[in-house]
Amino acid sequence: MKLLNTLIRSVLNYLEELGQLSRFAGKFFREVVRRPFEGRELLRQCYNMGNKSLLLVGVTGFIIGLVFTLQSRPKMLELGAAAWLPSMVSISIVREIGPIITALICAGRIGSGIGAELGSMRVTEQIDAMEVSGTNPFKYLVVTRILATTLMIPILVVMSDAIALFGSFLVESIKGDVSFRLYFDEVFASLDFIDIIPATLKTFFFGFAIGLVGSFRGYYCKHGTAGVGVAANTAVVETSMLLFVLDFLAVMVTDIFY
Amino acid sequence: MPKNPIYENRKPVITIRGLKKTFGQNAVLNGFDMDLYEGETLVIMGKSGSGKSVMIKCLIGLETHDAGTINIMGRDMENVSEDELRDIRTEVGFLFQGSALYDSMTVRENLEFPLRRHKRKFGGISDTTPMVIEVLESVGLAHAIDLMPEELSGGMKRRIALARTLILRPRIILYDEPTTGLDPITSKEIVLLMKSIQQKYSTSSIVITHDVDCARFISDRMILLVDGVNYAEGTFAELDASADPKVQAFFKS
Amino acid sequence: MDKSIATNIKLGAFVLAGTALLITAIYFIGQKQSMFGNSSMVYAVFRDINGLKPGNNVRYSGINVGSVKDITMVADTVVVIRFGLRKDILPHIKSDAHAIIINDGLVGNMIVNILPGKSTGRPLQGGDTIRSFARIRTDEMLSTLSVTNENAALLTAELLKITRDISGGKGVISSMISDSTIARDLKETIHHLRHTAEASNKALVNINRLVVSLDKNNNLLGMVRDTMLPKTIKQTLSNIENSSGEISVVIRQLNDLIANADTTVTNIRKGRGAINYLSNDRNFVDKVDRTVTDLDSAVLQINNAAIRLNQSLEALRYHWLLKGSFKKMEKEKAGKKE
Repeated sequence: MKLLNTLIRSVLNYLEELGQLSRFAGKFFREVVRRPFEGRELLRQCYNMGNKSLLLVGVTGFIIGLVFTLQSRPKMLELGAAAWLPSMVSISIVREIGPIITALICAGRIGSGIGAELGSMRVTEQIDAMEVSGTNPFKYLVVTRILATTLMIPILVVMSDAIALFGSFLVESIKGDVSFRLYFDEVFASLDFIDIIPATLKTFFFGFAIGLVGSFRGYYCKHGTAGVGVAANTAVVETSMLLFVLDFLAVMVTDIFY
Repeated sequence: MPKNPIYENRKPVITIRGLKKTFGQNAVLNGFDMDLYEGETLVIMGKSGSGKSVMIKCLIGLETHDAGTINIMGRDMENVSEDELRDIRTEVGFLFQGSALYDSMTVRENLEFPLRRHKRKFGGISDTTPMVIEVLESVGLAHAIDLMPEELSGGMKRRIALARTLILRPRIILYDEPTTGLDPITSKEIVLLMKSIQQKYSTSSIVITHDVDCARFISDRMILLVDGVNYAEGTFAELDASADPKVQAFFKS
Repeated sequence: MDKSIATNIKLGAFVLAGTALLITAIYFIGQKQSMFGNSSMVYAVFRDINGLKPGNNVRYSGINVGSVKDITMVADTVVVIRFGLRKDILPHIKSDAHAIIINDGLVGNMIVNILPGKSTGRPLQGGDTIRSFARIRTDEMLSTLSVTNENAALLTAELLKITRDISGGKGVISSMISDSTIARDLKETIHHLRHTAEASNKALVNINRLVVSLDKNNNLLGMVRDTMLPKTIKQTLSNIENSSGEISVVIRQLNDLIANADTTVTNIRKGRGAINYLSNDRNFVDKVDRTVTDLDSAVLQINNAAIRLNQSLEALRYHWLLKGSFKKMEKEKAGKKE
């Protein structure tokens, strides 16, 4: 009985939070089209999230490309399909690995950053201070951050894809003696718009999810300094889960249309 | 509510009647009444959790109250538009407990921030630097203009926060525990600064504190807040002389 | 201010780089599908396009020359595909070329392959419709194979039945095969034939030698002096006599056999009874035919040999030197007859 009550309460809790998150998203869409626009802050956030994440995302992408090729190469050789390696690697990276790995890395770096920053601004009353000084903190802090992640994640993913493919090419050129031209000819021959367009579109949703959940957790942070840690942590956990759900949905939708 | 005869001929800038606020089961404010007259400094004292911070947050619209009326300079807070609320907020400055400086911005940017949306009030100024320097000089920290908040001491932060409040030229300033977390000497400096600003800009002020020295030095009038209602009201001297044990508890601790 | 400008410049570079990468990728992919640049539209009509999709490659002489743009159904069995071809390739494709939809490898995509037309044809132009071949689909091939397979199974079953019938002693072939007398006859016949042939050969060699030496008149005296000669000739002739007798026996037997074989063949050709199935097998019929032909030619050769022998004997008969001997032989024959 007690267990049931706990269960019911946690389900209700979950639903309540989901409702709050939806309202939060709704507020974003209302505010994003209303003047004034915080252009400078948006650019600052874009810089912070885009440029500053490039190194991390680049290194990760490079290693993923390297490792992925190294791992699949022996099996492909065994099957006598070494020539298919570039197309296999490129499709996997462009369609799935690049977007999801980059988004997860950014959920860790950017999502937790937003959660912690907004959380600490909330507990130190900086958000209230903004409110009092006549600036809409939601617009200034939340809208700019969600917009920045939504715009920057796709670019980061594209760069990560490119770097990962380059890493894969390095392995191929060292182990298999493939020229740059041949490798990328193979890559582009095997890629299709069906691969690249839905994969790029879904990264916008990934970016939106990262910004939304991070902002939501930070903006409604409670319980002082400890709450900031909780906000940053839950932001990462929930974003990661949401990313996989979105990815699944994206694949299903892509499947319907192609 | 008995009115002090010395304020009879003055007009109140803020009037609160029957303010109620409940968090869950916990009634924080339970029918609070208050008048702030033009040019006076009203100190509200109360124990932690007695709802004083909640009261001024309701006042400025950071919290919504459950019942009662708040009137600021002739406008009811219950039915103001967003634009009107913004206008009211330029007239009412708020000094936060923890200073609440924006960590990611320099002192200059912190001070410029409130001006972003209120340039209209100053006739569409383009260069804000003279205004920034002026308020910084008022708090005696003109040299700190390009520092980051993390490079400032607690007292300096408090002063910068005050400068940020002042830059909009408010007619009313709400101080939320202005001396909390500061050493006695710095507290004294802050209180002196508050006094000088009070005179220089001729503002009305509400000061929320449990610092008796601060209250003694700065208050024109005091309200003791107990269990969400105004328990006692009067000048510092009147209350200090009171025989009521609950009142005495504030001054003898 | 300077800091924020630098920041914005870096951000701009970042965004530009990302967008440029994306556009490059899209451009290259588009180029592979010949979406941009110069291409002319050409049409082809198919009944069945076997899962061809827009974007699939078009290949000519092994070169990717374009891609399928769209596919429209114009009637219940008419599918029109429109595909772009590179303009620089177009003059090399003649208007009588054919399009065929094939698999690119066993598990690859479908592609449109253009088979070259006659080199004298008019070059293809944009807007042309080229002829198409119905493609042999893998599944069709498989279904044909399965029919073949069924047939093979049927065949095997029938064969089994026939074999069983044959071993059970039913039908003409059975009797032909299982009748040991025929086999023995055949064996004997062949044995006789060989024997006859050897004997005939020997006789003919002797006769030839004789005839050659007879033709040389200057050796006549020596020949006459040779007392052994009449004896040899006599023996030869008697050998020939024997051979002829044997040959005529063989020929009679062969004739019987052939008559039998003929009826068999006729029966087979008419397709009676259990042999019905075998008759459909051209191979078998051919084999039987060939056997019969072989036998025929053997008989023919034997006949020829016999005729030649007869002629030789006729010639000998009229030779002056041997006249006496022949007469004596005829007398003996007449005496025997009596």
